[in-house]
Amino acid sequence: MKSELELRGVQQRFHARGVASGYITAVDDVSFTLAAKPPQVVSLVGQSGSGKSTIARNVLGLQKPTAGSVLYGGKDIFKLSRAEYDAYRRDVQPVFQDPYAIFNPFYRVDRVLWKALKKFGLTKSRSKGLELIEESLRAVRLEPENVLGRYPHQLSGGQRQRIMLARVHMLRPSFIIADEPVSMLDAQVRKHFLDILLDFQREHAMTTLFITHDLSTVYYLGGEVMVINKGQIVERGPVSTVMHEPSHPYTKLLLDSIPQPDPDARWTSRISVDELEERADAKAAPAPEAPIL
Amino acid sequence: MSESVKESAKHKGTSADSDSVLEIKGLDVTYSTSRGDVQAVRGLDLAVRRGEILGIAGESGSGKSTLAVALLRLLKPPGKVTAGSVMFHPAGRSPVDLLKVNGEELRVLRWSALSYLPQGSMSSLNPVMRVQDQFKDVILEHAPARKDSLGELIPRLLSQVGLEPRVGRMYPHELSGGMKQRVLMAIAVALEPDLVIADEPTTALDVTIQRVILQSLADLRTDFGVTLMVISHDMGVHAQLVDRVAVMYEGRLVEVGDVRQVFKDPQDPYTQQLIESIPRVGRRSS
Repeated sequence: MKSELELRGVQQRFHARGVASGYITAVDDVSFTLAAKPPQVVSLVGQSGSGKSTIARNVLGLQKPTAGSVLYGGKDIFKLSRAEYDAYRRDVQPVFQDPYAIFNPFYRVDRVLWKALKKFGLTKSRSKGLELIEESLRAVRLEPENVLGRYPHQLSGGQRQRIMLARVHMLRPSFIIADEPVSMLDAQVRKHFLDILLDFQREHAMTTLFITHDLSTVYYLGGEVMVINKGQIVERGPVSTVMHEPSHPYTKLLLDSIPQPDPDARWTSRISVDELEERADAKAAPAPEAPIL
Repeated sequence: MSESVKESAKHKGTSADSDSVLEIKGLDVTYSTSRGDVQAVRGLDLAVRRGEILGIAGESGSGKSTLAVALLRLLKPPGKVTAGSVMFHPAGRSPVDLLKVNGEELRVLRWSALSYLPQGSMSSLNPVMRVQDQFKDVILEHAPARKDSLGELIPRLLSQVGLEPRVGRMYPHELSGGMKQRVLMAIAVALEPDLVIADEPTTALDVTIQRVILQSLADLRTDFGVTLMVISHDMGVHAQLVDRVAVMYEGRLVEVGDVRQVFKDPQDPYTQQLIESIPRVGRRSS
């Protein structure tokens, strides 16, 4: 297991129609390091179109950056040998946003777990495999008898997301790349999910890159946070510092835009549509699709 | 400020004063399941005043969306309205009981008097129609007399929600979540309805866009004099936008009152809990 995942000057451009330059820059010179030791939770927060999901795809090796590099244990992930690449694929695990899209609706959910066992050669024996699966399901607070043998449509969104966490638990990666994993879950299930991630950090020493647009989730997780705007990281630091003493105007705007639950603290200023309009252009980038596992 | 609190005290509760757009009385909605009936809305009494923004608050499963679909007559089996009346007073028309009108009569009311603003990130727009054609669809269906003014009307509606006329020629997939929500808002007010029911209008949008949408919703009332009923689980949205809040819990209305009174001096223990459970993030603005 390698101890570091590093982005060095990553830039990602997409071709786009109707833009003078012929492309848009979704990720612009982004550098950061995720350390496995000590395990940490690092949140990447920004609004839609800011480039945060593209960064997830770069880190996971699903999209090769147009410039810069993603390093795993000091080596470029797009230049790894076969064996190194296999190790990287096991050690860096994704959790995607949509608990519907990641499952093939024709297969029982067990398959996602058995496939992981098989692909990564965790065990050859069926009984040992089942034992591992059941243990991991319990670790994410699912009862094996309630989920095994079911089809994706028979489970709730929260259950499906936790199955993906069970898969992560089985593989014990050093890094989890979670791209908006809770944005489709309601408040209570969301808290459940976040608590499991924090458990993983504490008990299994997993480092999580948590990508979200929701500041209250970031606040709940704690740890470190990076704020991204228009493809650039504009502010980074411990959650408590960034949330209480934001230094960048964009972070301030984000924090001020959280509706305060106080009718006497209504917004007095307006924010203009124009300053947010660039999203129309950003939208021209292909929407990242989560691959079916 | 103290004046508005006083005023609210006068109007407090559900007493229907003469200028109500909507008076809901004793509404019961039941879902039949194989394990017996579930009452999603129980004996609900509520009046919506003309020109106000009324918030409906409550956690998931409290019955707030069921209330919305029941009012709009969009409730699907196994859901069923089992009791109550909903008197609707559109300006310049005779009052009707929304639960009794049917067919053509209902179709005429829809959109021109009573419209719906759905959650925009969901599949509310037709993916294979240009935005302007979706406007035409609605307008021609509910107000065919406006056919000749369409060319002028659509750009005007779009500009009212801060969108350029070119958006009319775009397809939904070319729009961001916030733009889609604003298109839906423009469609909702296209025929100057008396009442717009907005179901979680900002859920699934990020905070800055949410702020723009809340601004635009407030503008709808100022510019069009629309009465708005805004359903949201987010107490922050209510605090920022609405005049009065109705709090629902397990299908019942536990409290209705002026937004300041509800937040500063909640009368019901559940409302108190709801307000205390709001996570507060970071520094206070202002």
